[in-house]
Amino acid sequence: MRLQLALRTLLDPFRPQWERVPEEVVPLMRTPLHLQPTRYIRATWADRPYGVVRAVQVRVAFSSSHIFFRLQWPDAQPNMDYGDGTVFPDAAAVLFPINGDAPLLTMGSPEAPVNAWYWRADLSRPQNLVAHGLGTVAEAEGPELWAHAIWRDGRWSLVLARALGEGGATAVTLVPGMVAKVAFAVWEGENQERAGIKSFSGIWRELEIGQGRG
Amino acid sequence: MAEAIRRGRQLAMVFDLNKCIGCQTCSVACKVLWTRGEGQEYQWWIMVNTMPGRGHPRDWDQMGGGYRDGVPQPGRLPKREEWGGGWEFNYDEVFYGGKGEEAYLRPLGPQPQWGPNWDEDQGAGEYPNAYFFYLPRMCNHCTRPACLEACPRGALYKREDGIVLRDEGRCRGYQFCLEACPYKRIFFNFSRRISQQCIMCFPRVEKGVAPACVRQCPGRAVWFGYLDDEEGPVYKLVRQWQVALPLRPDFGTEPNVFYIPPLAPYRYNPDGTLDRENPRIPTEYLERLFGPKVRDALATLRSEMEKTRNGGHSELMDILIAYRWQDMFRPFDRDPVDTSWS
Repeated sequence: MRLQLALRTLLDPFRPQWERVPEEVVPLMRTPLHLQPTRYIRATWADRPYGVVRAVQVRVAFSSSHIFFRLQWPDAQPNMDYGDGTVFPDAAAVLFPINGDAPLLTMGSPEAPVNAWYWRADLSRPQNLVAHGLGTVAEAEGPELWAHAIWRDGRWSLVLARALGEGGATAVTLVPGMVAKVAFAVWEGENQERAGIKSFSGIWRELEIGQGRG
Repeated sequence: MAEAIRRGRQLAMVFDLNKCIGCQTCSVACKVLWTRGEGQEYQWWIMVNTMPGRGHPRDWDQMGGGYRDGVPQPGRLPKREEWGGGWEFNYDEVFYGGKGEEAYLRPLGPQPQWGPNWDEDQGAGEYPNAYFFYLPRMCNHCTRPACLEACPRGALYKREDGIVLRDEGRCRGYQFCLEACPYKRIFFNFSRRISQQCIMCFPRVEKGVAPACVRQCPGRAVWFGYLDDEEGPVYKLVRQWQVALPLRPDFGTEPNVFYIPPLAPYRYNPDGTLDRENPRIPTEYLERLFGPKVRDALATLRSEMEKTRNGGHSELMDILIAYRWQDMFRPFDRDPVDTSWS
């Protein structure tokens, strides 16, 4: 019961409990054009602005068993789906190296994969993704993920949550006391942002994994 | 990406636009076989449009994509309304609503403004010089597939037989392929959130059965086979006689669906006499569609027709007439009814 209560409470991005959690504004930048995997994408986005979301407000909370990320970013018009066929659903992700030193710029490498918790406005559940380099993102087994997103007053508020603990081969391990690396990405669907066309936090950030009481 | 384009053989098709009657049997054969699933309601992997016309999606030829001087050109995604189709109709009201003749069949929701064959038989020109012809359009299984090169996930690949195929398991619905395809013959499945397109009936082809659109054509208007099969009609029409041309070669993707350009009757002069210098379909228009070689192709067709008219024999005319149906797609002439599909 306790676990469910904590989950239900903290999954709501507007619960008062979030007020007590410190916030960090993480600046975002567009992904490098020269690292886009195909010539077509490099040619078509060379003169087109992308990565239009420039910062995400991040709060991290812990229950006794779960970790919660609350991400907030401005978006004048929410894109819940593919609309008239020329837009994409808004999306965001939290990214982790699965073990140690995975490169962020290339979304991991064959030896050092990365794990993304991927939320998209049109999906009923977030996806546990693994990537071994650019263009290799794939859904993979992992501990269950929860997401709850609300668009209100020109802003997305999203909570992504997962149980603390071992992740296995295709998900990050997050145990209390360890220092994890984490990165963030946001896709503005109105601007046709999808795949590698996105804003991201540029570098890994360190995050001490805690544990709450509730 | 280069390794995804294996230089093997190339399966190809030739449509004779002088024989296509726009009956859509190819479209329906494909629809019934491949696009009855969820999210495919509006998908027509092959669709016959009237030319001149705006096509499907509307004004597809102005949406960009392809290559210029070998450089990928930006393309844009078609709007859903530019595709049209996939409508729900008020069948319940008409058939079971008890309204007699008051209810008539109409699409539900907003009134459609476009669809897969919206401008059928409109064509161009003024009576008595009006003209039109039919143009079946499908994935061209290009030698330089812009879709394949654009995909950041390597979800598209070119098989040894030249078929361009999508690994739906790798596709994440990014639609760079659709942007890059200058022919706009890729369809986003809004339910499954992946893109889809013609698969050239590869499960049939692998068993020696011609694609459904080819085999079902009642007009004997389409040939199928390997482009390098020197004994086959596709080679003869494309390479030997050079009367079959790709659509919009200026898009730079080297399509492998070819067309015999349409001949047309002479124009009428205002005084009712025949203008024997000018065909009713402007050659400049055909040149825009099929490139500068269309002039030679039309000239060859005319001279070979003339030859037979004068009692001579023309191998080209024999191929175009298609005396024996199976010859149009040999060796893919196995009957699907006699084939095990388990």
